[in-house]
Amino acid sequence: MSDVIFPLMSTAPDATGVVVTWFVDSGDEVTPSTLIAEVAVDKVDAEIYSETTGTITVLVEEEAEVPQGSVIATIS
Amino acid sequence: MSTTIHTTSQALPVEPEAGKRKLSTAKAIQEAITQQMRTDDSVFVMGEDVGPYGGIFSSTTGLIEEFGPTRIIDTPISETAFIGTGIGAAVEGMRPIVELMFVDFFGVCMDQIYNHMAKIHYESGGNVQVPMVLMTATGGGYSDGAQHSQSLWGTFAHLPGMKVVVPSSPYDAKGLMTAAIRSNDPVVFMFHKGVMGLGWMKKNQRSIGAVPEEQYEVPIGKARVAREGTDVTIVTLSLSVHHSLDVAEKLEKEGISVEVIDLRSLVPLDRDAIVASVSKTGRLIVVDEDYQSFGVSGEVIASVAERQPELLKHVARVCVPDVPLPYASQLEYAVLPTPARIEAAVREAVAS
Amino acid sequence: MTLYPELTDDKRREMLTMMVLIRTYEEAILREYHADKSPGFDIGAGLVPGEMHLSAGQEPVAAGLGLHLTKDDAMTATHRPHHVAIAKGVRLREMTAEIFGRETGLGRGRGGHMHLFDPETHFSCSGIIAEGLPPALGQAFAFQRRGTDRVAVAVAGEGAANQGAFHESLNLAALWKLPVIFVIEDNDWGISVPRAQSTSVTSNAVRGAAYDMPGIRVEENSVEGVYEATGEAIARARAGEGPSLIEVHTLRLWGHFEGDAQGYRTDLDGVPGRDPLPTYRNTLTSLGLITDDDYAAMQSSASELVEDAIGFAKASPTPNPADALQYVFAEGARS
Repeated sequence: MSDVIFPLMSTAPDATGVVVTWFVDSGDEVTPSTLIAEVAVDKVDAEIYSETTGTITVLVEEEAEVPQGSVIATIS
Repeated sequence: MSTTIHTTSQALPVEPEAGKRKLSTAKAIQEAITQQMRTDDSVFVMGEDVGPYGGIFSSTTGLIEEFGPTRIIDTPISETAFIGTGIGAAVEGMRPIVELMFVDFFGVCMDQIYNHMAKIHYESGGNVQVPMVLMTATGGGYSDGAQHSQSLWGTFAHLPGMKVVVPSSPYDAKGLMTAAIRSNDPVVFMFHKGVMGLGWMKKNQRSIGAVPEEQYEVPIGKARVAREGTDVTIVTLSLSVHHSLDVAEKLEKEGISVEVIDLRSLVPLDRDAIVASVSKTGRLIVVDEDYQSFGVSGEVIASVAERQPELLKHVARVCVPDVPLPYASQLEYAVLPTPARIEAAVREAVAS
Repeated sequence: MTLYPELTDDKRREMLTMMVLIRTYEEAILREYHADKSPGFDIGAGLVPGEMHLSAGQEPVAAGLGLHLTKDDAMTATHRPHHVAIAKGVRLREMTAEIFGRETGLGRGRGGHMHLFDPETHFSCSGIIAEGLPPALGQAFAFQRRGTDRVAVAVAGEGAANQGAFHESLNLAALWKLPVIFVIEDNDWGISVPRAQSTSVTSNAVRGAAYDMPGIRVEENSVEGVYEATGEAIARARAGEGPSLIEVHTLRLWGHFEGDAQGYRTDLDGVPGRDPLPTYRNTLTSLGLITDDDYAAMQSSASELVEDAIGFAKASPTPNPADALQYVFAEGARS
């Protein structure tokens, strides 16, 4: 099982961001070419692709505030 | 034999299975443009902030990284000049995609659009083609005020010589953009900002959806039955499709069955689909975010009334009344065709 | 009359021949246009209905410019297009048939005299002042993008130089170094308004500097001056050095449109004396390049071509009303 981590996008240590858009739902199959989510910190966007193949479980809701580095989904 | 007539390239699949991969509408548009630019080097994009910025509403995000600044071209604020440049390049065999940043800006360049882009083919007796896409952002709901929130597709649809497409979903956005690029006619591709799936604007969940990975087309001029029903027909387009579907889902639980027709194109208008649905239900509601009078809603109703007026037991329209779009959100949402207004219209229709 | 010393005698004769052809054509259209509009002038009546804007007096612009252009160069022109269309090589029969609204016309009768499109010579014209400039930019863009040395010429009147499209087009053309030449025909009158009442500068050539391109003014309706100035500009453009602005002080011999009584026109008395055709004829005659017989031969040869074109037009079928909706789109009828 692997974790999908909210990327470090800000130098501020306690910066938080949001998942702007989930492109998958829990239970979907993902591969390394699957676009999983779009996240943002202070209006800077980043796209997150899966790093492995498996079934994804989404852990946080869109627009919910999450700290950088936190686990936002798992793939097994 | 004219040297500017385009020969048809190999046909693409039409409306294939969507598959599992999801994109936002913005990303679907980007993918359509990317795939066509990879296969046809006469395709290029021109407009304000389409380069490194990726388009104000993300229509071209990432494209300059792949294709460079000679094919993804930032222009000065000179709509007449750069839309005209698109026209001339198209006349000479290229396939430009020109972005008009906000449809509301058409006032400064409308001559090039409706007197040139749209008329050259006819005036030349079909001897000169203008295979150009004019893409533009429409719509309100985020307090951008009267000059930046309009829909205006009725205005473009009214004037002969340009096809007008208005996708509501990522699937249709990619398919219609692909069809628009490959069409030998000028196509106005109008995307509502609220369906783009942007991170910085409230979005309906249907702004994210399954999109085939391969190249495909959605036919220009064909509506889609977004939801089947038996009691009421809603004919609508763009963001209002999503609101209508939300209302239909809610009312299903009360036993009211709403059919939702997503027009997808305004020119050509799929009048057959409209009439077919109204012959099932007898009750027609048009939901249109453009201004009420002298536009799309009247055209839809007239299309049924002149063919089979006896079908129409009930007619209503839910549009923006004839007022500039207000800034304050309480006022703006009082005039937009909201789910609440749509629901009220459906209830009234079935009560009659 | 300024003479361009590098011009060959043959080219001089060629330019005069072109001027004679244009004048012969415009006189014939004038005749045909008015033939069936009497007793009162009914603009919509007759074999050539609608507005008619003839270019008599402006022949030097077309004749001087045309010698530098090939079939593959592009040109956009105005509501007064016949002279530059002819010089560009647009087929006379099909052009005339279009003016007569026939099925054999360039636009199958759908465009008419202000909307002539000839893809073979990349020629088009438009009735909206200054709006032919942006599409010329586009044609130049395509030529540049493909690595050719083809150029686009945008012809407009001095009135157009006050329209937004003019300024946007000059800026963008210079910014992108497009191979386009702007040729402004200053015939002193924007319909009834003289230039001094419409334009903040006395010569539009100075506006070139505002957009970082050369601006040249050719005086005295000089066909050789046009030849020189446009030749340099076109050579620059072909070499990838970008656009130029040329203004020619020319002469509108007749009204803005046919039916224009020109009551407002204060310079009418001097007009016949400024006619460029006898002027250049006299110049070439005095240089010993042509005789009266040569000139007569030019006229009769022009007349033959013109009457043939008019005969072709008149013999051609008118379009079928049932086909009025055809050619709106290349693909699929509008529902």
